[in-house]
Amino acid sequence: MKPEGPRTLQLLAQHMLAEIAPRLANDYAQKTAGVIAGLLLAAAEEWDRAAARRVEENCALRVLFGDAAPLVRSSGLRTRLVAAARGGDEDLRIAPLESANAELRALLIDLQAHIESLQSEEALRIDERIWEELRAGVSRRAIAFWPL
Amino acid sequence: MQELEERFARYAAHRLPAARDVRVDSLARIHGGASRETYRLRLRFVEGESVQERRLILRRDPVSSLIETERSHEFRAYQAFHGSEVPVPEPLWLEQDPRWLERPFFVMEEVTGCDASLKGLSEGPAAAHRERIGKELWRILGVISRSDPGRLGLGRGRGELSLEQCWERELSHWEHVIDTDELGPEPVTRAAIRWLRRNPPPPAQRIAIVHGDFRSGNFLYDTEGQIRAILDWEMWHLGDPLEDLAWSLNPIWSWPNVSLAGRLLPRDGAVSAWELSSGLRASPEALLWWEVFTNVKSLAIWISSAREYSDARSSDPTLALVGWMIQGVQERITLDTLGRSK
Repeated sequence: MKPEGPRTLQLLAQHMLAEIAPRLANDYAQKTAGVIAGLLLAAAEEWDRAAARRVEENCALRVLFGDAAPLVRSSGLRTRLVAAARGGDEDLRIAPLESANAELRALLIDLQAHIESLQSEEALRIDERIWEELRAGVSRRAIAFWPL
Repeated sequence: MQELEERFARYAAHRLPAARDVRVDSLARIHGGASRETYRLRLRFVEGESVQERRLILRRDPVSSLIETERSHEFRAYQAFHGSEVPVPEPLWLEQDPRWLERPFFVMEEVTGCDASLKGLSEGPAAAHRERIGKELWRILGVISRSDPGRLGLGRGRGELSLEQCWERELSHWEHVIDTDELGPEPVTRAAIRWLRRNPPPPAQRIAIVHGDFRSGNFLYDTEGQIRAILDWEMWHLGDPLEDLAWSLNPIWSWPNVSLAGRLLPRDGAVSAWELSSGLRASPEALLWWEVFTNVKSLAIWISSAREYSDARSSDPTLALVGWMIQGVQERITLDTLGRSK
């Protein structure tokens, strides 16, 4: 597929801003075209990293769950953590990666809520690692283009 | 647009029985406020022997809205504050009957010669006056915070409310929105909600009118640095006045340059202007709680926008934009507010 997808999306955004938006009849349509151009730029950025950021995050969460499982007092939650830690991403298409990511992030919420109820030093260390992972998750999703 | 002009002209003729030859032109949709359709238009008619011309704003419910009382809710706020120390456009007509424009709407006078954009506060003629605009903005917010809801006819919001209940009611409301609309798990948002429940704020100092979306972008200013109107009252409610102060200070309204709250004033200056005007105090611990809350509320709005677009209930691409770009920045700000950034 040539030109590559991200390059095509960047050029479409430029075309939208430089050629189409100025020719639109009213302010609302022009600004909407600008928004669409912004989304095209964001899509270009996301296209390149879409699989990589999900694989990286899924892997980081599985490692975290494996380390946290021995601390967890709820047997049901511990079982889920151990099972999740043993998983992997075999299908690298976006839909299955995203589905796995959603399951892991839901489990992260449950783990953090549980850890917050514990008082030990180890629990605090896991809580710190969860916050680190939350920061990393925000960074992985960040889009360089800012629209406002 | 021509059909909407003709339909609105028929409605205006109905509202102005003494008028003849009622015409509408220059009707154009205004960008922004993605959940609402806002139009500016020019109304012309003959009354007696003279030709009259009025510039109006039409705010119409979106197709997907199921809450029929929203228009009247916002309209009441404009009625309450019109002619007061809090500048608002003059509200004219509230119409709930869908036969005129298919959906409920209201009409108000256009405040002309103004800008509402964030960009205009950083560059252009008004930028030279931004300190003055900022002091005036937070002074006006202080006036809203000290207003008597009962005297303004806004005493009944969502039922009775005690000073201790303000935070819990707002948090539960927005948590429910997130529960309903999230497209996937939101660990940062959920962590912030749990923090809010573990660390409740002190009781409100008073039950105040809370604008609900008081920020740069929602007021009109002119090139001389005068604030001409406070807009977008659709989320007003009774509650803790610190909610509005915290919302106005949220870094998302000045991102990526967070040194000036709302691109106008250093944060301390904004808080001082509000305290002086309201006669209330913004204690650091209470304000912190409300600042974390405003992140959760913002995230709820961005999450809902993404849901609305994803479900094709609205085709406005701005809703996708906030889901893709603004939600991520809001999560980063949430981590900053919680002291969890490195």
